Amino acid sequence: MKIRTLAAATIAAITLVSGVANADQLDDIKKKGELVVGVLGTDEPLSFIDPKSRELVGYDVDLGRAVAQKLGVKPVFKQITLAARIPELQQGHIDLLAASLTHNKEREAQIDFSLTTFITGQKVMTKANSPIKDVSELAGKRVATAKGSSMEVNIKKAVPTANVISFDTSPQALVAMQQGKAVAFVNDEMSLVRAMVQLGDQRKDYKLLPTIISIEPLALGIKKGEAGFKKVVDDTLREMEASGKAEGLYEQWFGQKSSLKMDKRAFKFETDKVAE
Amino acid sequence: MTSFDPQMLLSGQYHDMLVAGLKMSLQYLFWAFWIALPLGLVIALFRLSPYKPLRWIGATYVEVIRSIPLLAHMLFWYFGVPEMLPVSIKEMLYEGPVESICAVVALGVYTAAYMAEDIRSGIRAVPGVQMEAARALGLGYMKTMCLVILPQAFRLTVPPLISQTLNMWKGTSIATVIGAAEMMYQAGQVESQSFRSFEAFAFASASYLVVSLIITGIAVWFQHRYPVRTM
Repeated sequence: MKIRTLAAATIAAITLVSGVANADQLDDIKKKGELVVGVLGTDEPLSFIDPKSRELVGYDVDLGRAVAQKLGVKPVFKQITLAARIPELQQGHIDLLAASLTHNKEREAQIDFSLTTFITGQKVMTKANSPIKDVSELAGKRVATAKGSSMEVNIKKAVPTANVISFDTSPQALVAMQQGKAVAFVNDEMSLVRAMVQLGDQRKDYKLLPTIISIEPLALGIKKGEAGFKKVVDDTLREMEASGKAEGLYEQWFGQKSSLKMDKRAFKFETDKVAE
Repeated sequence: MTSFDPQMLLSGQYHDMLVAGLKMSLQYLFWAFWIALPLGLVIALFRLSPYKPLRWIGATYVEVIRSIPLLAHMLFWYFGVPEMLPVSIKEMLYEGPVESICAVVALGVYTAAYMAEDIRSGIRAVPGVQMEAARALGLGYMKTMCLVILPQAFRLTVPPLISQTLNMWKGTSIATVIGAAEMMYQAGQVESQSFRSFEAFAFASASYLVVSLIITGIAVWFQHRYPVRTM
């Protein structure tokens, strides 16, 4: 009897979840007067807590703000974990993902993406005294990375026999590598450059392996099938590109004015297509 | 909205991953139990010892361990403790399944504090006259404990110990934060590869539930088979 009640409750719950009708998200956001933006808050300079002001800042945060401004609503930032990003968006807990999100073909089945907002490559960091010279030598070795990330998938693609150990955040994975619990740490190049800057004097003890394991176009994530909202997001990005704001943001967070001092911007906010 | 797909749980790559996670969780439970029980017994005896320094050590252990969340224990035993070991031992440990070893130790050490309290309360529930009678017969403190008190306390202690084992079983899931490939980790992996969160976590939840029910069943059976004798 109890089992039957349980089964009935489960079926009811499933029907409830699957049966929720999709109203137009754009109207909902305008009605609420706020745009809920999901950010990581742990991935400098995309989104992080400024140690001085204790406020959430970063490239992703500024993009979220720009979309909210275009809509004339208040931006509300919600910190989420890497692995929870896509479910949180699908379940409507957030309206827009600005969370170091890689746009790839696999994910297109789950959510929609805005124009590409950043392009980086994924690379591997090891200790400078490690005998490993390139990515292919990681076969059978312990490699640390972040849970639910595209790095996890890409390192497996690059080296199928690598023993991938995933942690909740990238900094934890980096510490595991520093402590010797893994021989290598995988992350996007931008984050690795930042980690090197933060290491200060110790940076000479680490090196980046030359091979790029994958090119990562980052984009904002939008719930599937919300064409009206996607258009607003893409229009915002196109306007930012045209007015030079996009270039300014890059310079502020990644360019010569920033601590990363990365090379000149080699991409534009122009397409939402990615290669296979 | 996609529907529930039981097929991926019954066979294929995702099934294999989840089952591997379940096996690993059960192994954690097994090994952590054999750390927690003996350690808990020693701590309980320390707390009841006639010697003040031992009582003090026992009390400190219980209060310190119990006051810190299991999550913090996991991170401490994984990121902290191995770093303090001598280099040769550290390197040997890092060659092996360091995540699993640290998870089991953290879980065992944590549960031992709770088990110690259960054992202590069981021993304290044995009437004081039993101790007096045994001592009057000329038995020493250790012999009194082993031959008279502990066997009586055993029946009182086993049900709460089984309930601690149940908590420990659920606690294995925390090991996911240190990259240990137990069931929650594997469910997360299946989720990020297949985007089938519901199926992955339904499998994990059902597995936790089934094992928990088995543990509860053992407790019920024990209480029925070995009821507490009126003293």
